[in-house]
Amino acid sequence: MTDYTVDEIMCATLAAQFADGDEVCNGMASFIPVAAIMLARMTTAPDLVWLAGAAGVDPRPDRVPASTLESPLWRDSVMYLEQYSDFWHYAQSGRHLQTFCVGAAQLDRYGNANNSVIGDDYHRPKVRLPGTAGLADMGALGKRLLYWNPNHSARSLVEKVDFVSCPGYLGGGDERERLGLGGGPELVVTNLAVLDFEPQSHHLRLRSVHPGVTVEQVLQSTGFELIVQGDVPETVKPTPEQVRLLREVIDPDGMCKREAGVK
Amino acid sequence: MSKVASIEEAVQAHVNDGDVVALQNMATQAAPMALVRELIRQEKRDLGLVCLVGGMAVDWLSAAGVIDRFIGAAVSMEQFGLCNQYRKAVESGRVRVEELSETALNARLGAGARNLPFLPTRGMLGSDLIDINPNLVRFQDPFYGETLVACRALVPDVAFVHGHRADERGNVQIEPTVRWPDLGIFPKAAKKVVVTVEEIVDSEVLRRNPDRTVLPGFAVDAVVEVPYGAHPTSFFPNYGYDTRFHLDWVKVARDDEAAAGFLRTYVTEPEGQAAYLEAVGGAERLIELTRV
Repeated sequence: MTDYTVDEIMCATLAAQFADGDEVCNGMASFIPVAAIMLARMTTAPDLVWLAGAAGVDPRPDRVPASTLESPLWRDSVMYLEQYSDFWHYAQSGRHLQTFCVGAAQLDRYGNANNSVIGDDYHRPKVRLPGTAGLADMGALGKRLLYWNPNHSARSLVEKVDFVSCPGYLGGGDERERLGLGGGPELVVTNLAVLDFEPQSHHLRLRSVHPGVTVEQVLQSTGFELIVQGDVPETVKPTPEQVRLLREVIDPDGMCKREAGVK
Repeated sequence: MSKVASIEEAVQAHVNDGDVVALQNMATQAAPMALVRELIRQEKRDLGLVCLVGGMAVDWLSAAGVIDRFIGAAVSMEQFGLCNQYRKAVESGRVRVEELSETALNARLGAGARNLPFLPTRGMLGSDLIDINPNLVRFQDPFYGETLVACRALVPDVAFVHGHRADERGNVQIEPTVRWPDLGIFPKAAKKVVVTVEEIVDSEVLRRNPDRTVLPGFAVDAVVEVPYGAHPTSFFPNYGYDTRFHLDWVKVARDDEAAAGFLRTYVTEPEGQAAYLEAVGGAERLIELTRV
């Protein structure tokens, strides 16, 4: 029996990653992270600091709006951070905003992400994607990166990204560390499963499959061989109360469902 | 001295073919679109465009053949999707992209503003953005030997800004809202600053709330009164983004001829702001957008 939708299990899984007192921000077109942040603030992490759109401090949006980079999101903020001189100072301080949610067109087996170009030639790409925005910074500044991907497929989870817009573990192993970069990708939450990184190789590993999804399905939908160790558990389902909050309070317009392609 | 100009005069006097124009614009927010339309109307060519996150403006300027390079962190109309005219222009080689991380763009402009050759960032290390870009160089910091990225100073020829109000001297006010680097650093780095505002007011009005003045008149070259000057992007708290107009553009933007027809209808044909606002739906549409 399905008593929740895939966007809801993704939101609940992401929400569980935020500790009370953490500081997080969101970028554009980030409906699932925004709903996850709102859910965490209403349940397990009431003191989760949220910078809506990387600018509005402690906002009280009415609901997840049609845009995660427009003023309805930062309604009732206690402060507007000026992005050049406030936000990026805190984000680069090494003391603040240490967790960041990343969405990208491609993610590879070592957690490098691409939102720049598809194709071999950067200057004559097959597809010009939106661009790195803050990813190349967040990937290099020692942050803990949480990827979300509502479209788990061999096209979005690839052996090697065409272009590194967001550095993950680069070629795997200790390459990231040798470059002097701290932090790094920690988790990938998709519409099918939750992935993490095997600690030695830093290669993506299957951590849990969502209820109703088989390990085989996940492996077939991934563009490289995922590490599978032992019995793969099921992802924890969202509670009825989490589902109620998401449907009735946080996202009554179904922006996350739209993002996840849920009819 | 009065800085008040018409939109035609401002663009004629302060933008030359080949210039680098730094444009306020965050996806669907706060772009000085009347100035963007005027660049197209005056058939400016070979411009470089600087945005943190460019939206419809980048699409239009690509479609009209105004720009041949983009410098910035991203181009997207967010919920309305990719900018397809820009995409095509890049994929066919007509527009080159200098893609920068946000700290790198800020560093390049910060250096430009301070008359420094470069500023460093810790961002981008490990990414592919450094090696494709001659304006970014890894170096060892002289104090601790750490590897950092030097971001060469960027001095745009002109910055375009849209504000809530200004006086005749070009002192510009913004109502309390989030403010992006396109206000925080773009106008400080640029050689010239051209501003459109919702209204030109007496200086006495500014003196009531000097904390809302974000650009001093001495650093502004021209100011133009353009009500709804950011349409179809949002301009909080005055009006929201025009969803229907964005959807209409997205519909035609995949087809070059349809896109050109759209630009004729909304950019070339309307003479002046009142005619433009009439073309996009008139008072009825503007009232809808004001209820945000």
